[in-house]
Amino acid sequence: MNTRPNQSPDSSLPRTSHDDASLEPCGDFATALSDFRSAVNHVAERETSKPVPSSWLVPAQRRHRSAQRRLILAWTCAALLCIGAVPLLHQTKPVVTPPVVAHQDNPSDDTALLEQVDNAVSESVPSSLAPLVTLDSWSSTTSTNEPDTKSSPNKPEKKNVAR
Amino acid sequence: MGHMVSTELPPLARAESVLELADFDEVVRLYRPRIFRFLMASLADRDVAESLTQDCFFKAYNARHQFRGDSSLGTWLTRIALNLVRDHLRSRRMRFWQRTRDTALDIVDIGDWVPDGASSPEAVYLQQERVREIWQSVDKLSRQQRTVFLLRFVEELELSEIAETTGMNTSTVKSHLYRALRIVRERASGKSEGEK
Repeated sequence: MNTRPNQSPDSSLPRTSHDDASLEPCGDFATALSDFRSAVNHVAERETSKPVPSSWLVPAQRRHRSAQRRLILAWTCAALLCIGAVPLLHQTKPVVTPPVVAHQDNPSDDTALLEQVDNAVSESVPSSLAPLVTLDSWSSTTSTNEPDTKSSPNKPEKKNVAR
Repeated sequence: MGHMVSTELPPLARAESVLELADFDEVVRLYRPRIFRFLMASLADRDVAESLTQDCFFKAYNARHQFRGDSSLGTWLTRIALNLVRDHLRSRRMRFWQRTRDTALDIVDIGDWVPDGASSPEAVYLQQERVREIWQSVDKLSRQQRTVFLLRFVEELELSEIAETTGMNTSTVKSHLYRALRIVRERASGKSEGEK
């Protein structure tokens, strides 16, 4: 058996052992195959019995040349496309996103806006919370009269001295 | 083809060529029927077979210096023909929108063959019918199965010669041949039974 070094067996085929007897047709099938061979031979002989003209291989030569020409043309087109694409690639600018510019308004505008917001949000104190308002005002007055001794230990002595 | 004239190619440089050919025209004369028969049976197209036969001999002529005599000249030429068939089928698949089988050999054409020694018209008809069935079944085989089948039963090559020609190992050749035989037998017998 002639096997080549770089030849790999067809892996898609199952590894079955076919004895030569199973590969030899017999009976009617063998006769049919023999007839088939005779028919193919008959047609082939009829076609090749015609004399070969002097320019028999010229069409093959022409086909070969046109195939070569097509190949060269294809490679030339591919090369031209590549060469043409290079400057285009260089010319394309990267997409730059516009920088976010900080919005600088006048301070007067800010003040007006804040006042507007303040007016919209602020409400008058409801009547049910009125004692708290007075209490709050009272506590604020008492807190001014009785300062926290812990936070500022030196100052109460001065106030006492003043009394 | 004794009256064949020169193929209008420059003569072989015999001193350089390992392919010891007295005359390339002689090679064409000897092997053209065999190559054409194989190509016609493979492609079922007379015109394409003729074109590829020309291509085969043209390639052989151009590559004659590469022929080292490791295999027989017939095997070498058949291998070139096999490559041409493969390329042709591939390009035909690429040009699927074209109807490439306009000139396909009519099945009736094959069936027109009249067997020798047929006893009666009925026997002739039956034999022609069987040939048609096998022809149709072979056309449905995969490329490799068809190649192996035709090399075995039309070209009558040995398994080792088929392996050498196709580049497969012998067990692969046997597998393809076994499957091809089974398919052809099943299809042919199935059609016969269906017609009965």
